[in-house]
Amino acid sequence: MPREKKIEEYDVVIIGGGASGLTAGIYCGRARLKTIVIEQALVGGIATNTNEIENYPGFPEGTTGTGLMKLFHQQAKKFGVKFKLTNVKTVDFTGDIKIVETFRNRYKAKAVIICNGSKPRLTGAENEEKYVGKGIAFCATCDAAACTDEEVLVIGSGDAAIEEGMFLTKFASKVKVSIIHDEGIMDCNEVAKSAALANPKMEFLHNTVVERFEGEDELTTVVLKNLKTGELTSIDCFTCFLFIGYIPNTSIYEDKVNMTKSGYVITSENMETSVPGVFAAGDVRDKFLRQVATCVGDAATAGVMAEKYIAETEIFENIIMKGDGIAYIFDASKADHRKFLEEIEELEKEYDEYCCHRVDTYKSRGLAQRLCKTGHCPSVIIIKNGKVVKVISEETLSKNEIEKNL
Amino acid sequence: MSKEVVLDCLGEACPIPLVKSEKALEKMEVGDILIVQIDHSCAMKNVPEWARKQGHEVELEEIDDGEWECIIEKMK
Repeated sequence: MPREKKIEEYDVVIIGGGASGLTAGIYCGRARLKTIVIEQALVGGIATNTNEIENYPGFPEGTTGTGLMKLFHQQAKKFGVKFKLTNVKTVDFTGDIKIVETFRNRYKAKAVIICNGSKPRLTGAENEEKYVGKGIAFCATCDAAACTDEEVLVIGSGDAAIEEGMFLTKFASKVKVSIIHDEGIMDCNEVAKSAALANPKMEFLHNTVVERFEGEDELTTVVLKNLKTGELTSIDCFTCFLFIGYIPNTSIYEDKVNMTKSGYVITSENMETSVPGVFAAGDVRDKFLRQVATCVGDAATAGVMAEKYIAETEIFENIIMKGDGIAYIFDASKADHRKFLEEIEELEKEYDEYCCHRVDTYKSRGLAQRLCKTGHCPSVIIIKNGKVVKVISEETLSKNEIEKNL
Repeated sequence: MSKEVVLDCLGEACPIPLVKSEKALEKMEVGDILIVQIDHSCAMKNVPEWARKQGHEVELEEIDDGEWECIIEKMK
């Protein structure tokens, strides 16, 4: 018989404890939400793979991935965020209360923020694990400057590999590129390809894959194998950049939230996923740039959105949908919408059995959308016995029309 | 009925917590839970890593500042 899981209730459950999860934690904790971060390994996420972080604002002398994440962690803890280091087994987002299960616990949450991130695809070659962060790198933006006047090796030929490779030529003395395909074939776009071929600092090693990585403590040599001849060639390099794709950590969300074909979570610009109350932030999202700085931005938005969602749920369930009411959905920035408030005021006096709610969409559209899927604005929603019985939209909106429906 | 065993490794440095955990888990049945109390940062890393690699369920929880419990469910 399976062991009974301990049930714990939270306002927000954040899945993933990297830069995004920690930032979301800071925002939720500071908003006094009961928050837990569940991280499968150690706090800090993929940023801890990067030794030097030189472009995160606020650190003119640069910082380390581990050092920066430690500060994020401290700050989240300061706001009372709880941490649990274990794997999330399953999630259930079908109800108003979201369920997140680990092997010992069942967490019930009003909102969930997905911050699982993604991991770089590895070559699978010998000794690879040994040199991750010690000569094997995944981000030219992060590590290029450290390669000034050094020779580097790039693995891959997609857009990322070739474009980042060209970026590296601004710093490195030589950029060798190992490409699995035949001479002349690259996976990247044509513009990048011709620019790369014309770049005197770049050299292409076709039909090659990594056989193994070598070096004392740090990586010094990469042994490439020619797929056609089987010949092994040792390439000395300062850093080896792997650009053979990323894999988002999203298998537990399959069929639970909308994702791209490659498994990235699709969100609105406010970090909302296809499920109300479930947000996503950071590298796990389908987006353009994956950096600590962009994670922080995403997660701040997701944290504030989660807070708003929870507050709106409370107002919606415990105030608006209790008994009879009139909800006026309007935009406070518009003069004519504000003018109609006077009529609402009169109605409030004349029909004191109805509770009047003023829902300002200028601040947030969430409540309006819950009352009426189309989110017409301005409009009036009539609620009787906790149910929406009539939506009066702009065209017919008048005090008379409202009175007819009371 | 599965049981829980608490292993006090507070104040002990690597590799003692790991060795003790290995020995303790050996004597236990599948489904049993081993709770290893640790306060050395290297044990905090290598005990869960080892247990995960062995295919067990693992959870790490900070009980107090710098004091951790590594909870391992024996899976095989």
